[in-house]
Amino acid sequence: MFRLNLKIALRNLWKNKVYTAINIGGLAIALSAFILVAIYVRFETSFDHDVPGHEDIYLVGRVLPDKKTNYTSLSLAQALKEAIPEIESVGRSRGTNFEFAFNTPEGRVYGKEVLSIDYTLAKMFHIEPKTGLLKPEGDALNVYIPKEFIAALFPKKTPVFPVKVGVGPISAGQSGEVSGMINHNSAHSNVVFDALIIAGDVGKNQEPSANNYYTYIKVKPGTDPDLLQKKVDAVFKEEIKKSMVTAAKDRNSAELSMVPDVNMAADVNTLKKSGVFLDPLDNLHLRPVAGNNTNYKIVMALSVLTVLVMVIACINFTNLTIAQTNKRAKEVGVKKVLGAYRLNLIFQFLIEIFMQCLVALILAVILAEIFLPQFNEVFGVSFSLWKDNYELAWQLPVVLLIISLISGVYPALVLSGFKPADVLKGNLQTSYKTLWLRNTLLVTQFTVAIVFMAGLLIVSSQLKYMRTEDTGFKAGQVVYIKNIVWFDRGYFDNMKARVMEIPGVNSFTVASDIPDGSRPGRVNYTMAGKELGMDIVHVDFDYFETLRLKLKDGRFFSKTYPADAENAIVLNEAAVAAYGITQPVGKTIRGCDMDYRIVGVIQNAKMQGFEAAVEPTVYTIKSACANGKMKLMVNIDPDQMAGVLAALKSNWKDLNKMDGDDFRYEFMDELYGRLFKKQEQLQAVFYGAALLTIFIATLGLFAFSAFTITTRMKEISIRKVLGATDYNILSMLNTFFVRIVLIANLIGWPIAYIAAQRWLETFAYRIDLPILPFIIAGSISILLTLLTVSFQARKAMKANPVDALKYE
Amino acid sequence: MITLKNIEKYYANKGVKSYILRHVSTHIKQGEFVSIMGPSGAGKSTLLNILGMLEEPTYGEYEFMGEDVLSLNERKRIELYRNHIGFVFQAYHLIDEMTVAENIEAPLLYKKVGGAERKSRVADILDRFNMVAKKDLFPNQLSGGQQQLVGIARALVAQPSIILADEPTGNLQSAQALQIMDLFKKLNEEEGITIVQVTHSEVNAAYGSRVLHLLDGVIKEDLAVEQGV
Repeated sequence: MFRLNLKIALRNLWKNKVYTAINIGGLAIALSAFILVAIYVRFETSFDHDVPGHEDIYLVGRVLPDKKTNYTSLSLAQALKEAIPEIESVGRSRGTNFEFAFNTPEGRVYGKEVLSIDYTLAKMFHIEPKTGLLKPEGDALNVYIPKEFIAALFPKKTPVFPVKVGVGPISAGQSGEVSGMINHNSAHSNVVFDALIIAGDVGKNQEPSANNYYTYIKVKPGTDPDLLQKKVDAVFKEEIKKSMVTAAKDRNSAELSMVPDVNMAADVNTLKKSGVFLDPLDNLHLRPVAGNNTNYKIVMALSVLTVLVMVIACINFTNLTIAQTNKRAKEVGVKKVLGAYRLNLIFQFLIEIFMQCLVALILAVILAEIFLPQFNEVFGVSFSLWKDNYELAWQLPVVLLIISLISGVYPALVLSGFKPADVLKGNLQTSYKTLWLRNTLLVTQFTVAIVFMAGLLIVSSQLKYMRTEDTGFKAGQVVYIKNIVWFDRGYFDNMKARVMEIPGVNSFTVASDIPDGSRPGRVNYTMAGKELGMDIVHVDFDYFETLRLKLKDGRFFSKTYPADAENAIVLNEAAVAAYGITQPVGKTIRGCDMDYRIVGVIQNAKMQGFEAAVEPTVYTIKSACANGKMKLMVNIDPDQMAGVLAALKSNWKDLNKMDGDDFRYEFMDELYGRLFKKQEQLQAVFYGAALLTIFIATLGLFAFSAFTITTRMKEISIRKVLGATDYNILSMLNTFFVRIVLIANLIGWPIAYIAAQRWLETFAYRIDLPILPFIIAGSISILLTLLTVSFQARKAMKANPVDALKYE
Repeated sequence: MITLKNIEKYYANKGVKSYILRHVSTHIKQGEFVSIMGPSGAGKSTLLNILGMLEEPTYGEYEFMGEDVLSLNERKRIELYRNHIGFVFQAYHLIDEMTVAENIEAPLLYKKVGGAERKSRVADILDRFNMVAKKDLFPNQLSGGQQQLVGIARALVAQPSIILADEPTGNLQSAQALQIMDLFKKLNEEEGITIVQVTHSEVNAAYGSRVLHLLDGVIKEDLAVEQGV
């Protein structure tokens, strides 16, 4: 019997090829989206999940009056370990915030992130070198390089470790020992490094008051996090009291250190107000306490979206299956008369639907494989279906069962419920009982499609605004040259003079920060009796000219005023507004134990992108509290771009004697453009989602209208006999569906409006919510409806009424 | 074999009862060949559906082979179809997606007859109906008469004790109709199968042994047919 049912199913599916294709195709496309998102979500939610006991690891961070930070003091870890018995182990890491070169005679690797960690942290995270994790003896620092870099560093053959390599610029002549190769996937871990230094105690010989350590603790399983938090907080407060004395004493020396957060540590007032938080390792990647949770939002949005698309696809499937019930009704009636139980029939239909879902799943896997490269590009990842995704092996069959049930149960019940006496009389009038349900489904589908269409258009408008709106500076002709040494003024002036000789160079400067979205350091400044935290950018002459910043008042720094290199300062409008002063130029502002004279005010420049409002910022050439000036920027005449870059490249060794090993540069506008990456991803997601949902909704409409027209054939024929024209028929058929789509629009618009409003509110600089996207989404949906329905109606108009009116 | 007592069927519409069948009482014995006749709307098909347990009367008693049908649950009733009743329809109602042989085999599947026996019974009946050559064709490749033969073959293969036929020749040309009626008569006389048919045609009715005349849901006449036509 099973075989026979299978045969009937296949013959049926083959007979209704178009419907079968629509059914399976729609489901396959939704499923493939599901597979891709499942992979992405799994990846994003499983950071460090290969670390045994990851659920018991916490990062300890500090709550400051104006922000939260992961940076903690050197001594906190030890204090916690001693005071709290629940803590099994503690470990610290310290990063370097600049690039670092490793050289061998054959190759060179730039490590962006050179991470120093405690031996105990390596143990906690099970970061193990190839040769096994050994506790470094005494003060020894063991340096490890990840597998990926070994080939670049030693292109010919893997050396025998330990091996000596050059560290930093070749000219500096420093060298160090690499202890071995290390296996660690930084792309899927919160511990990120390009080179790793394992020490017995990373705090050895370091400035004790510096708050530049990440402190991780691992607690005994089953520890209550709230209680733990209170205990940690108590220990932390105790530590502050102890360190306050030393902190005040060491204040001056601390400020000279290059780590931006040091200033915080030194500020006794700030310390008093701080508290502590525990951030579970499992949350650290997606929704850290200190940091933004955009990734988490994207993961959530994608999950909801795919589940929604899946449900819609299933609904559609149900809809399409029920739409064909007429054709199957006779079979049901006859089988019942021949002695089939209802359960037999339910089972038969479920198997039939299961088969279609299975085919859809196979297609979906193929589709996912095809779309994976594009997906990887948009999200900047390198996923593969078959690697690291063992979960799919059980997830897919489960999904298959679920969608088979969702899309199968209802049609199976409807189909198997036909009464033979009704069906076999010959003239089956389709029950209008299920009509309201199908209408609801159709409305739902179009609502979702309209929300995504409108959403796509709004996201695109905001992106267009961000690309074209005045940012307050021009990155177009600016090239950022990477550099890993600090310059003193004399050295830089020399270099600058020689760079300026290259024809095509408009200006050349160096600064601590460039407009790539990163936040500069923060220092308190006092003016007009108000002490306020200001972002501080450490600049040089021609900084404003290079980035084409716009002057509001006063003047830029200029060589003609020698004092500019000593104690001049330029504020931005936001800073002026924060102090609430008029006529700032010429006034004095105090910060970092120095008096500065305000020489100019510039317009706000959106150097950190569009999401946050421009911070009050000061620009100065000399400050002991600011970060070091390392980032070179050159403004080049666009016509001579290639020539200038070639000239710089060939002479770089000579121009930059301290770090001239490689001429490494990036175009400033590309760098700034990367700030839009997340929004571009969002746009891509909406683009995909809009296409997907429109496609699926149209499929649903296609099938539903075909079904309606078939069942109304008799009515249409009667109307024709009574004198209706083709146009009358067409408008009659279309009116119904257009009405449904209009209802979907009325429901979809407010949803899209509210969601878009909330999304736009995450931008400090944003467009006014436009009306046009709603109108366009509405028009497209109605146009698609008219086309789809009219395509189907053609059949009805062509048909000869006699055929439909003839009694079978 | 069949006893109907005071069967009534009506639809209540806005408080007005519209009767399909009224006070129908009759008895059909094993081996009878009964024709139900009457004008359109007389309730012939409804009566046949009630006999076939496809519809339930609003009121009355129905005994089939000593069992009170109306008190049976769905499962028991299906058991009765499987073992005792064969249906033949005016529109044949073959399953379009099944071949001739598969259509005939279907009821045996539901009776859970073993594979080997199914094969032999289907082969047997194909042979009897001279349709061996057509066994792999689909219904739409056959003429109406041939389709109805398959329909009858399907009804017979489960070896029912009664065949219920709703205008079995209604869609057929007269020559084919005669063939079908001859077949019914033969089955009735030679194999003792009880047959109840609904028909419009006096000619068809003459093949049977008894005619029930229905008018507006009431049995007007119950006549024995003189044999020897």
